[in-house]
Amino acid sequence: MSSDKQAQTVKKHKLNFAFREKLGTFAEGFRHNYCYQCGACVADCPASNYSKEFNPRLIILKALLGFEDELIKPDSEIWNCTNCYTCSERCPQDVRPVDVIIALKNMCYSEGKAPELIGHISDTVLVTGVTTKITSLSERRRQELGLPPIKGYPVDEIKKIIEAD
Amino acid sequence: MTYKSIGKYIPFFGCMMTTKYPWFEAAVRKTAAKIGMELIDIDGFTCCPDPIYYQARDKMEWYTIAARNISLAEDLGYDLITTCSGCTATLSEVNLALKEDPGLKAKVNERLKKIGREFKGSINVRHAVTVIRDDFGFEQVTKTVTRPLEGLKVAVHYGCHLLKPSRVMRVDDPNHPTILENLLKAIGAEPIHHDKTMLCCGKACISDAIPEQMIMDILETIKSREADCMGLICPTCFDQFDIRQIILGRKHKKKLDVPIIYYFQLLGLAQGLNTKDVGLQMHKVKADQIFEKVLA
Repeated sequence: MSSDKQAQTVKKHKLNFAFREKLGTFAEGFRHNYCYQCGACVADCPASNYSKEFNPRLIILKALLGFEDELIKPDSEIWNCTNCYTCSERCPQDVRPVDVIIALKNMCYSEGKAPELIGHISDTVLVTGVTTKITSLSERRRQELGLPPIKGYPVDEIKKIIEAD
Repeated sequence: MTYKSIGKYIPFFGCMMTTKYPWFEAAVRKTAAKIGMELIDIDGFTCCPDPIYYQARDKMEWYTIAARNISLAEDLGYDLITTCSGCTATLSEVNLALKEDPGLKAKVNERLKKIGREFKGSINVRHAVTVIRDDFGFEQVTKTVTRPLEGLKVAVHYGCHLLKPSRVMRVDDPNHPTILENLLKAIGAEPIHHDKTMLCCGKACISDAIPEQMIMDILETIKSREADCMGLICPTCFDQFDIRQIILGRKHKKKLDVPIIYYFQLLGLAQGLNTKDVGLQMHKVKADQIFEKVLA
């Protein structure tokens, strides 16, 4: 994004520094405060290289300025992060942009603003204990390969431990 | 860190390999035994949970479920070994985060107390390829080979979570790694390191368009380098390159035909297993011709 376009984006929104406090309630949701906008995270970001919209530096900037309505929604660009952690390798400030993006995703989920897929897959873990489907075909293939059968997954234990105190 | 012994490990196969690609699990079990790794199976594991969707849901829940899995291995005191890069990402990161942050560990343990468990921080989490390199060495791998895969050109695909974040993984140089190349050389294959070797498979993107371009770029690069197949170590990357290759080939009217092979399948073939033992016939992109050539 050119600096002109960036300036327009900034003008369009109200600054909301309270957003930093809100994001800070989520794990790792403070690391963007270390960012000095050098842009080292961008060059090797695969999502940036394959999409004009995705830019980790800009996501961090929006988090700093509190552009909540652009970040906290199911079609926010944050959902195209590949979670590859290359930005975390490049960042001289230890911002760990992926971890800030995950904090933003956690905020989306907690407000019911995550894409449906997130709830769908993570809910499966709480029903079956795994993310995948266990079918009779899985069992048959395991048997053919001489593998031990799938034992039950202790779903009740997971349900108990994910409850906040 | 003291080890009870080097050579015994608790395997964590994860969801994908247990239910969707059990032939990868079979390949690991059959080959690891020959190298000298004793795998001690324990009951009670759940999903790691996955580093993309579950972590996006709630990081505290993600830490806690992973800590529960790690604590089961701690009971026996052997290292937990992973065979999927997703499980490696989750379990390595949570293990380190809780070891480094006593406050976080206390919060997680408060939750684990409800089921009578505790995370102690007494073991390591390591991908099976790291264990082979560090506890046995490449020469030990070569010693198990009865049928070197001479002439087989394998395009290396690292996947992201064996190496990154390097602060957590501590496996190899995240920009210029050599571990997979050396493991391929150890079985007589020729590793092809191409300019998309380090590119992500794109599985985590919510968009279809971004990973589609990545996959096409990677596969076309491999074709241009005349590699016989892609070699990788992650079932999620496999998902992207095997099944989606068929779909994308049709969409773009391109004949890609790049077989995608999990490293432990290649190792198995080099150790004399047949293609059915390691489930090669189950792949969508067929690898028959190549292995007729190599295994003739």
